[in-house]
Amino acid sequence: MKTLLEVKNLKVRYGNIEALHGISFDVKEGEIVTLIGANGAGKSTTLLSICRLPPPEAPRVVEGDILFNGQSLLNVPPHKIVSDLDMALVPEGRRIFGNLTVEENLKLATYARKDGHEAAVRDYERVYALFPRLAERRKQRSESLSGGEQQMLALGRAIMSKCSFLMLDEPSMGLAPLLMYDMFRTLKELNREGLTILLIEQNANLALRFAHRGYVLDTGEIVAHGTSEQLLADPEVKKAYLGG
Amino acid sequence: MEIFQHILNALQFGSFYALIALGYTLVYGVLRLINFAHGDIFMVGAYIAYFVAVTLLGIGGLHLGMDMHPALALAITVPATMILTALVGVALERTMYRPLRRKGANRLYVVITALMAGLMLENGNLALLGASRKRFPDLLEKVVWDLGGGVSVTNLKVIVIVAAIAVFLLLQFIVTRTKIGMAMRGISYDKFAIPLMGIPLDTIIVFTFILGSSMAGLAGILFAMSYPILEPYMGALIGWKAFIAAVVGGIGDIRGAIVGGFLLGFIEIGVVAVFPSTLRDLFAFSVLLIILWLRPTGIFGVAQTTKI
Repeated sequence: MKTLLEVKNLKVRYGNIEALHGISFDVKEGEIVTLIGANGAGKSTTLLSICRLPPPEAPRVVEGDILFNGQSLLNVPPHKIVSDLDMALVPEGRRIFGNLTVEENLKLATYARKDGHEAAVRDYERVYALFPRLAERRKQRSESLSGGEQQMLALGRAIMSKCSFLMLDEPSMGLAPLLMYDMFRTLKELNREGLTILLIEQNANLALRFAHRGYVLDTGEIVAHGTSEQLLADPEVKKAYLGG
Repeated sequence: MEIFQHILNALQFGSFYALIALGYTLVYGVLRLINFAHGDIFMVGAYIAYFVAVTLLGIGGLHLGMDMHPALALAITVPATMILTALVGVALERTMYRPLRRKGANRLYVVITALMAGLMLENGNLALLGASRKRFPDLLEKVVWDLGGGVSVTNLKVIVIVAAIAVFLLLQFIVTRTKIGMAMRGISYDKFAIPLMGIPLDTIIVFTFILGSSMAGLAGILFAMSYPILEPYMGALIGWKAFIAAVVGGIGDIRGAIVGGFLLGFIEIGVVAVFPSTLRDLFAFSVLLIILWLRPTGIFGVAQTTKI
């Protein structure tokens, strides 16, 4: 399998505080890989370093490299990561545009697509088929959606932006268990169709049941990695992250 | 019948306020920045129109020896002024606001920078061109239509009013119907998430400044044609008034800018029709203050909620 994303010895700072002390991991094409760890372990920082969003939220990469398809992302502006490299991030807290309608949110995500109107129309239908709730609410201001529906919209936006590599930051946060399983079922389906997924989760149990491989992050360092089965069986991981 | 004459005058004045208020509201709507230099961009627009016009007419400016027919000169002056004024607006954004944004500066510093930028434009003009006033040349042959009953309207007045309404409809279309307009609204809600949609943030911001500044340029040329005496401080008071009109209408909302602009025009003309004209600004702003007391968010504004 081809390696899509390769993070090499990444050191990242917020101001003078080093948040990642040289982490390395990779994601191969067609895989679901998860980064698990406690609050403050550096999971979101890792994603933000990959996407390099504008200040003041951006962490600063001081050492190491992030390669996507062999190309370094460190000098690629954040919008090009989405428009040219077909990556997508569903950020923590969803960050949907609450002042726009559901439909407008999805339409905005097609801004940089270059594959024509028909492909976009197919994806609209796909999103509305995956999430019928969004179809019902297409004319509503997205602020008025419930947390679960907002998460669907955030995922719908990622699909509309035509991504082949999807990064998710805590998608289960604030979701009722039933909605959460629904969400992961949908993600699994998208993965079977070829979408590569990098998932950040605090809910380690759920994440490892869903992913092929995992990395355990602890205060800015990777302390364990392996296939999901290996990690689920690892006594240390069990004790620290899976509630015994 | 006198009242119709007043209404026409109010519409004309309101159009100037509205055209300038649209620029304030667009930039505020996207960046949450009150671009206090905007009134002076209007002034720069009027001066650009002056220099383009006298050059084309061959009566000053660059002395290119052109001797254009006034109507042709007008047809060129309008787009040229809008483009050049837009460049001035973009230059302000590139040299002053963008560096601050990159550093994550507090909004207060950006607003102070905007105030300084306005003062620099005024005083830069004064330093370069001196204190003497400029007389804007006649580009449009004046036609007066008598509507009966002592009411008359000039072709210029009609052009001003139609221009303001056309600009409003155009901007309303762009903001509500196009993807770039959606991106403009999206930025105001969550700047962070815009690049995640593959949208270059700076391009949208530059586009916003182009729209706002070119409308100020259009207001500048129309104002110069209506009141043909130009001086460096001409943008200050009208800029403040347009800003207040935008706030009363609900800043950030395009409908608010047009309604606020016309409202201010009507109040001013209404006051002058009844009271001595020295009371105009005092009364006009008292009325606007009362409106803000009753509706602090402005007519079309909605209260901003901040997520914690």
